[in-house]
Amino acid sequence: MASTQALRGPGSASRPRAPQSGPIARRLELLSELVRRDVRARYHGSVLGIGWTLINPLVFMMVYAVVFGDIIGIKGPSGKSYAVFILSGLLAWTFFSQALVMAASSIIANSGVVRKVAFPWMLLTVSSVIAALVNFLISLVLLVPFMILAKAPVGLPLLAIPPLVVVTFGLCLGLGLMLAAGSVYFRDLQYLINLATMIWFYLTPVIWPFTRYEGFFRHGTIGLLAHIVVYANPMTWIVLSFQDVFVFNRWPQHWHGLIYCTVLAVALIWLGIRVFRRLRRRFAEEI
Amino acid sequence: MDSVITAESLAKRFRIYHQRSETLKEVLVDRRRSRYEEFWAVNDISFEVPEGQTFGIVGANGSGKSTLLKCIAGILVPDRGRVSVKGRMASLLEVGAGFHPDYSGRENIYLNGAILGLPRRYINSVIDEIVGFAELEQFIDNPVRNYSSGMYTRLGFSIAIHMDPDVLLIDEVLAVGDESFQRRCMDHIEGMRREGRTLVFVSHAAETVRKLCDRCLWIDHGVQRAAGRTGDVVDAYIGEVNRHETELLRAISADLGGSGPGWMGVRIAGVEMSGSEGEFNSIRTGEELSIRITYQAPEPLRGARFRASFYPAGRDILLSTRTDDAELGGMSLPPEGTVTLTVPQVPFLDGVYGLKVEIEDITSGRQYVEVDRPQAFRVQGGRRFEVGLALIGHRWQVPAADPSAVEVSATG
Repeated sequence: MASTQALRGPGSASRPRAPQSGPIARRLELLSELVRRDVRARYHGSVLGIGWTLINPLVFMMVYAVVFGDIIGIKGPSGKSYAVFILSGLLAWTFFSQALVMAASSIIANSGVVRKVAFPWMLLTVSSVIAALVNFLISLVLLVPFMILAKAPVGLPLLAIPPLVVVTFGLCLGLGLMLAAGSVYFRDLQYLINLATMIWFYLTPVIWPFTRYEGFFRHGTIGLLAHIVVYANPMTWIVLSFQDVFVFNRWPQHWHGLIYCTVLAVALIWLGIRVFRRLRRRFAEEI
Repeated sequence: MDSVITAESLAKRFRIYHQRSETLKEVLVDRRRSRYEEFWAVNDISFEVPEGQTFGIVGANGSGKSTLLKCIAGILVPDRGRVSVKGRMASLLEVGAGFHPDYSGRENIYLNGAILGLPRRYINSVIDEIVGFAELEQFIDNPVRNYSSGMYTRLGFSIAIHMDPDVLLIDEVLAVGDESFQRRCMDHIEGMRREGRTLVFVSHAAETVRKLCDRCLWIDHGVQRAAGRTGDVVDAYIGEVNRHETELLRAISADLGGSGPGWMGVRIAGVEMSGSEGEFNSIRTGEELSIRITYQAPEPLRGARFRASFYPAGRDILLSTRTDDAELGGMSLPPEGTVTLTVPQVPFLDGVYGLKVEIEDITSGRQYVEVDRPQAFRVQGGRRFEVGLALIGHRWQVPAADPSAVEVSATG
């Protein structure tokens, strides 16, 4: 259109065009903005702020240590502090459950934006899982002085932590994507996930030492059922590995379980992306 | 000339839920499936917007304009057809572009920028302009939940235009906000047009569209009615709107229609109203009003009376009058005829009035038949300033500057 071209001159010359990020850079920038928001949202207006990241698991640890250790009489691994034992598993578990709960509401909580702006909405869910990861990493850093105080050994097996975190993150992300998309259509999922993680917690060897109860899984029908549930639960192997590192200062022993977790994480992410892509088509109208 | 926006036989279906299974109990225990109807909010719409043009979408409320815009914006996925947009797109749908209520205006600017794909450093360079244009310098660090809807809109608009979009979608937002801001928005939109940006503008305000748009699409109940040069399309649209309004007015017009057969097969064939200027649908206070009631009965009526009641829309009766009040007694009437009621000076003040006409048996009081029209006619107060339901004759007495009192009387 010649006339438009002619008129264009002064306007476009006075103002340089805004730079446009590439598709990957654009997503990374948005992701970092969203994570920044999600992490801050958690402690927005709280006095202790980031301190809550550790206070929560510490309080739970003390409650569990008293209730299950002293009152009910569950014993930690021989010769090890029950407190450190609980805390090491509890931190990994907190990351997992928090990530699922935050992911489940990640789309619904942002309905205002989803209804009005088209962008890769999946990043909202990814960001909620990353926010949970950031909390987890902070709590891990804060765990170190606690371990020194508790005279727990610290050594080379700590290097196993980053890959463990990556696998756990993958599990959270895969499940989180499905929960986030499903919650838009089925609101109860948000509340259901709270209940499910509570039950799941007791099925995961966080407060009970796996080795002491391993024998139980070999006897009778209930034992077999428990066997299937506990062995199929990926968090069993994640938590055991964290305990290996932090309690026993050794490399994770259940490498077969970790391979299972890794394969499962990849499969869940693949499935999660598929489910999310399928369900996102009606997000803006259903939300 | 390249098309920036291309839509090909676009269609979007919505579900209207009658019963929605949302909770666990409903799904698992009741085994209830959601029941819904489907309807096509947008059906088979095709158009192209060449680069640098301003494209208007007009239509009545609920015609599918906003749905169409959301399909272009990529928020809704069409069920049939396809739509493609080239270049960076920003949209202003309804009020605000999806702010996070707990975050400050400034934080929302960064977040929105990231959502629209702009690097943080670019936003750093234009944030003062954004805040300035939105006139929010004092409030930019307050949470947006404390913003007024005007502030919300200003910020949304300011962000969208500073995102430097190639394509800007605007959905009626200009109707919100004060006049000076609206004018600045229009100036800015004009500037963007001159720069050769592509705009899509949705509105039911035909004149705004006429002023702004090069080409235009008119949709009605989701279906494309006309597309092409703005002048032609807007003329056709306005023509339709006017026809529609005339039809609405006709609903409160001279002929109120009749009824079906009532008790004993008596029916009112028609109720017509006329004023001093012939047929009317509005009358001025103080003018003459006649109501002609035409009835039909299988046999002559014995001991019948007619009743007419006037009432302001949705309120109690203002005047109810019967033929026996006029000492006509129980009338013996031929099987067909016309009864006329005349009000020499209509006392009603400005407003819409209802009329109910009944034929009753005088001994039992039983009703043969009725015609009830809650919006029968409109009264215009004319030059009078009295407010209320009816003009009641009255007189004021005031002391005059002159010791002798002067009377000012109402002419009603």
